[in-house]
Amino acid sequence: MPTATEARAEARTEAGTDAAGTTGLLRLNLRRDRILLPVWIWLLTAMVAASAFATTGLYTDAAERVAASRVINTSPALVALYGPILNEHSAAELAMSKMTVMYALFVMGLGLVVVRRHTRVEEESGRAELMGATLVGRSAPLRAALLEAAAAAVVLGVLCMVVDVAAGLEVAGSVAFGLSWTGAALVGAGTGAVCAQLAASARTCGGLALATFAVWDVIRAAGDIGPDALGWLSPLGWGTRLDAWGDTRWWVLGLYAALAAVLVVAAHVLRGRRDLGNGLLAEGAGPADGQIGSTLALVWRLNRLSTAWWLVASLVSGALFGSVAPHIGSLFDSPAGKAALEALGGKGRVEDAMLAALLAVMAAILSAYAVQVTVSGAREETDGRTPEVLAATGSRAQVFGAQVLVAGAGLAALAVAYGAGSAIGYGSQVGGVGDALGRLVPAALAHVPAMWVVAAVAVLAWAWSPHQPWIGWAALVAFVTLGEVGPLLELPDWVIGLSPFQHVVAVPVQPVDVSSEVGLVVAATLLLAVAFGRYRARDIG
Amino acid sequence: MSNPIEVHGLVKTFGRARALDGLDLEVAAGEVHGFLGPNGAGKSTTIRALLGLMRTDGGTVSVHGLDPWADAVAIHRRLAYVPGDVAIWPNLSGGEAIDTLLRMRGLDPKATDRDALLERFDLDPTKKGRTYSKGNRQKVALVAAFATQVELLVLDEPTSGLDPLMERVFNECLAEHKAQGTTVLLSSHILSEVERLADRVTIIRQGRTVENGTLAELRHLRRNHVRAQITGALPADLTGVHDLQVTDGAVTCAVDPDGLPGLLRALDAAGVESLTCTPPSLEELFLDAYRN
Repeated sequence: MPTATEARAEARTEAGTDAAGTTGLLRLNLRRDRILLPVWIWLLTAMVAASAFATTGLYTDAAERVAASRVINTSPALVALYGPILNEHSAAELAMSKMTVMYALFVMGLGLVVVRRHTRVEEESGRAELMGATLVGRSAPLRAALLEAAAAAVVLGVLCMVVDVAAGLEVAGSVAFGLSWTGAALVGAGTGAVCAQLAASARTCGGLALATFAVWDVIRAAGDIGPDALGWLSPLGWGTRLDAWGDTRWWVLGLYAALAAVLVVAAHVLRGRRDLGNGLLAEGAGPADGQIGSTLALVWRLNRLSTAWWLVASLVSGALFGSVAPHIGSLFDSPAGKAALEALGGKGRVEDAMLAALLAVMAAILSAYAVQVTVSGAREETDGRTPEVLAATGSRAQVFGAQVLVAGAGLAALAVAYGAGSAIGYGSQVGGVGDALGRLVPAALAHVPAMWVVAAVAVLAWAWSPHQPWIGWAALVAFVTLGEVGPLLELPDWVIGLSPFQHVVAVPVQPVDVSSEVGLVVAATLLLAVAFGRYRARDIG
Repeated sequence: MSNPIEVHGLVKTFGRARALDGLDLEVAAGEVHGFLGPNGAGKSTTIRALLGLMRTDGGTVSVHGLDPWADAVAIHRRLAYVPGDVAIWPNLSGGEAIDTLLRMRGLDPKATDRDALLERFDLDPTKKGRTYSKGNRQKVALVAAFATQVELLVLDEPTSGLDPLMERVFNECLAEHKAQGTTVLLSSHILSEVERLADRVTIIRQGRTVENGTLAELRHLRRNHVRAQITGALPADLTGVHDLQVTDGAVTCAVDPDGLPGLLRALDAAGVESLTCTPPSLEELFLDAYRN
């Protein structure tokens, strides 16, 4: 046996002891992600391809393209959602407008998911401890996860370049755009890496990262509608400011690289300061006594904190967008803009149209709450806690009912919070908060039946099998995508109509369509009935 | 040469809580060392410090003469670990999980006796991780650990979830490794298991070591329980005898090792008809350690 000093010397001479085992972990992770990773990359590439090919075919002459670009640029809601189009004459920029900002969020999400899945989730489950006792260095799991995310980022970026060039878009712009997606994925991975060091649970880690993305997007939206400088503060604003399809600022790509590098270094430093399984943000102590006495109370308790955050986010984003609404006149400063403003029915009407459009956008975003509640319900089951609950109450109806009630009532509460927020924001600028509340809260509630349908689909997916919780998320993304891309691809109306969001009119500009609201409620009820039938009959676990 | 495991005055704090408060642990080469303590005493925390998974706040830890935090990988090369609560990847089969753990230590699974161990532990390697019960997940980690030829096995409550038949297989495997000179740290709160397998034990409580030594040494420190039937009477002032009760000639008492000769002489003088003297079980050592 070697002496201690010899052994230590031997240990030191091993190349990168701290990173030992990275290659092995990377292979294991790729094996585990052999479906998730290709599907995610393929879907994002398909979105780029669909937009590139469809847009170039849709607008045959330059005038039509300019008109379409101007529609986006003169609608603050669309600018808030997609960012502005800098060069209205560029077919490519029009084609990639939704990809540049909105889908860049999903690209960041890819980086986040890969890193979180192989770091914090592994630590929380205890598998990192099992692996950590083999020849795996302290920073190897983080490195393996980041390497995989980086590889995915590069592959995705290259695929997007190829697809754009194949669709006939400018080569230089395609390269810049593809690299901006690579950069976004790297920033997302870096964010995930830092959050994984801070949070002690996978759920908090995901929440922190998504909250960061949300803050970035709100800053970006505010920058795109208002002062441009704000947009530079957000990585989501860089995609537009890179100006891939015009006078490209190539150095903006360096911003992605620099931010990602800072985040990765920070994550490594933080990793060295904590123990495996612990987070830097300590878990607070809880009460010594429990008051929970029913399934509903339990489900509510499990979702209470995240619901509170959702409510605050709804209220604040409502207030932000509501207070921006009265200032949209500046977007119509040009003579052509003034004409467009008049054509749209004057300033008040345009403000209403913007508030209505933002409501529709928020309805889709807030639906994610119900999916999150349902997915965590499915995890209760796969983690083995549901049997204990069932053994105590003896009723599947109670578990099912509690999940549905929290998700459904939560959505209504979020809609009210957003409506109230936008009324307060709008009213604070033009006066008449009370009047605005009376208009905007009911307008927000008009979107709730469509949100319930999303919730019902997620519940159905869980009721069918708890092992594929991503189906709920996929359904939400599919509904949003149908509305966004369906018209571009000239899909038949009935296909686009599969999305519940297509059946809500633009309140408060248009009066509520009672029959389609009733139809949505009936659809949600039917889906829930099928779901309950299945949930009652299938095996638990 | 230093012991495979040397821990002195180990301190680990979580916020204001002191999980380990000056803990000592020495494991000599080639021995099976029982590591005992109630839930929350700090057994798993100590083990995580030994594996370099956790930074310490005071004291010294050395494994094979190395500092686990600085040289974790070099230490891991020479040990195998089975956690108390084994988690495996839900979408990998049991066989894939075992081979992953073996390959991650640079071993070729085909060159180990993995297949023989699978058979002995009666584990189906083709099932997906999510379908395994707690006991089967435990077997995955045990097979991966026993298939490696290492100098040190660190086992944290390794038989929780195993049925008695599988416990026997576990004991056999442990005995085989011990015969090859493997050092074993066996953490447990199942006393009979440790009593059967361990050469020496360390008992900890609230992050401190309260007892350590061979079972014989610990017994030496402890009182024997004596039952006897006598015809006469015993003097009241026997030294080293406690809880003395005499009812119709039936005697029960506890006696310090020093008091035993005096007690035996007194019993002889009192006309002893029957006598049983039981050494304390580990259970009693264990309870004694907590009472203080």
